[in-house]
Amino acid sequence: MHLTRFHCRSFRCLREIDLHPGPEINLIRGRNAQGKTSLLEAILFAATSKSHRTTLETELANSGAGEFHVRIEVQRAEREVVLETHWWKGQKRVKINGVAQKRLSDMLGKVSVVLFAPEDIALIKSGSALRRRFLDMALSQLEPAYLAALQQYRQVLRQRNELLRAPRPDPGLLDVWDVQLAREGEVLIERRAAFIDELAALASQAYGKIAAGELLAVAYAPDCPAGGLAELLRAKREGDIRRKMTVHGPHRDDIEIAVAGTPARSHASQGQQKSAALALRLAEMDLAHRRTGELPILLLDEVLAELDARRAAQLFDAIPVGAQCFITTTDLARAVAPEGRPAVEFVIEAGALAQS
Amino acid sequence: MLLNSPAVERLIEAFRRLPGVGKRTAERYALHLLSAPTEDAAALSEAVRRAREAIRKCSICRNLTESDPCAICSDARRDQGLVCVVEQPSGAMAIERGGTYRGVYHVLHGALNPLEGVGPDELEMDALFRRLKSGRVSEIIAATNATAEGEATALYLARQAQPGVKVTRIAHGVPMGGGLEYTDEGTLAHALDGRRQMS
Ligand SMILES: [Zn+2]
Repeated sequence: MHLTRFHCRSFRCLREIDLHPGPEINLIRGRNAQGKTSLLEAILFAATSKSHRTTLETELANSGAGEFHVRIEVQRAEREVVLETHWWKGQKRVKINGVAQKRLSDMLGKVSVVLFAPEDIALIKSGSALRRRFLDMALSQLEPAYLAALQQYRQVLRQRNELLRAPRPDPGLLDVWDVQLAREGEVLIERRAAFIDELAALASQAYGKIAAGELLAVAYAPDCPAGGLAELLRAKREGDIRRKMTVHGPHRDDIEIAVAGTPARSHASQGQQKSAALALRLAEMDLAHRRTGELPILLLDEVLAELDARRAAQLFDAIPVGAQCFITTTDLARAVAPEGRPAVEFVIEAGALAQS
Repeated sequence: MLLNSPAVERLIEAFRRLPGVGKRTAERYALHLLSAPTEDAAALSEAVRRAREAIRKCSICRNLTESDPCAICSDARRDQGLVCVVEQPSGAMAIERGGTYRGVYHVLHGALNPLEGVGPDELEMDALFRRLKSGRVSEIIAATNATAEGEATALYLARQAQPGVKVTRIAHGVPMGGGLEYTDEGTLAHALDGRRQMS
């Protein structure tokens, strides 16, 4: 899919921007703190109603304005989709093709966007929570039934944990939450296993292109093997009662990531970690392409920084031909799209587009 | 709020506790009653008081009723051995509107919900189990909501019901006359799980 027009007003430091991007590579140039990252964030927010930098929407509104507006026009395989969000005094109004939406989840899957930002290195470096979040976000976009199971699982887990906080939890009551926790949890385990299986092959391909010669291995590390959750909950119940919480289950899952045979979290260099995170995002994009038949829009924030010309060329090589991508860059000298890849450049200055 | 009056604030809070009433609506109701003729407000409070006094819980099914036992529990043409268990009186009303159900009801007045401090003792469970002990009930239909809490309640009933009483769960699935494309994913997933054999 292709973004044919982007419009925003008062989003963070951005003033009014009306952008008509090219169908493939779009370079967003500018000095620091001019609004490049905010531009990508605005596209992400318009498509998903989420920001990668904050969960507080108040922060997204230009401090003087107290409101913001973002709008994207996207050409999909069969038809055009227009997504519009107007945020005003803490209220968010979303329109899809001009029609106001009641449920924000209706937006899911309309326009798919994959963002890679410098913060993504935490996917490799930090604890398992961020990797589970990556899994949940990517899978929810692709499989709405996964999202339904996830929401149910979380609700049942909250209820079970509350019950465990009681002085002497009634075993008969714990049973009825265990049944549901096991049922929804098994759905999560099964879908995650299938997803990571597919993702692993694509991520190692992408990594091979970005960091020629090195191997990336990605594997699902479920806290509980498929089919065993009901049994595990039974076996660990006494411990759960003592700890007053549900210790085991898919809410403790992880993804194991290894570069050149050693755990990337502890043993890889900063550069390898960054490449591994980028490979995961590119694989996420590839997988969405396979499942839906359409290439998501790719947003790459600050990926070109610190790359020499050879590595930059490898990066461009890893971007699927025909994919529309938006790449921010501060470096005027090096960031040049390779020959044969149609590229458009925009310059952003003090929150507005400058003529390039 | 334009009126700085504790009495008005109490009224607004009372409206806000009603289902589906937000802050704005509560304020609108309160202001309406305060600026309308005194008789209107008096008539409303009188209607609430009278209904409250006239209505009690049926001693058998715990549904809200003016006469005890309620009309359904005293109806000899209905199957007193088939009990449909619902969370709220509105659930029984919804099934009655269907016009085809010939059994009776039991209203729990809620569902198991540890987060809100609702356990079996906070629900009309004992009354239900007493009915089962009488030996006149052969089947209960767990018609609690298709939420985590409603599902937990249905499972609890199934496990606590005495042997000899059949416990069934209402099917959840695609609405009649509704196309698959308009059905949400969670409903579809459950409809697939609960599929029936046809041949
Ligand atoms: Zn009755």
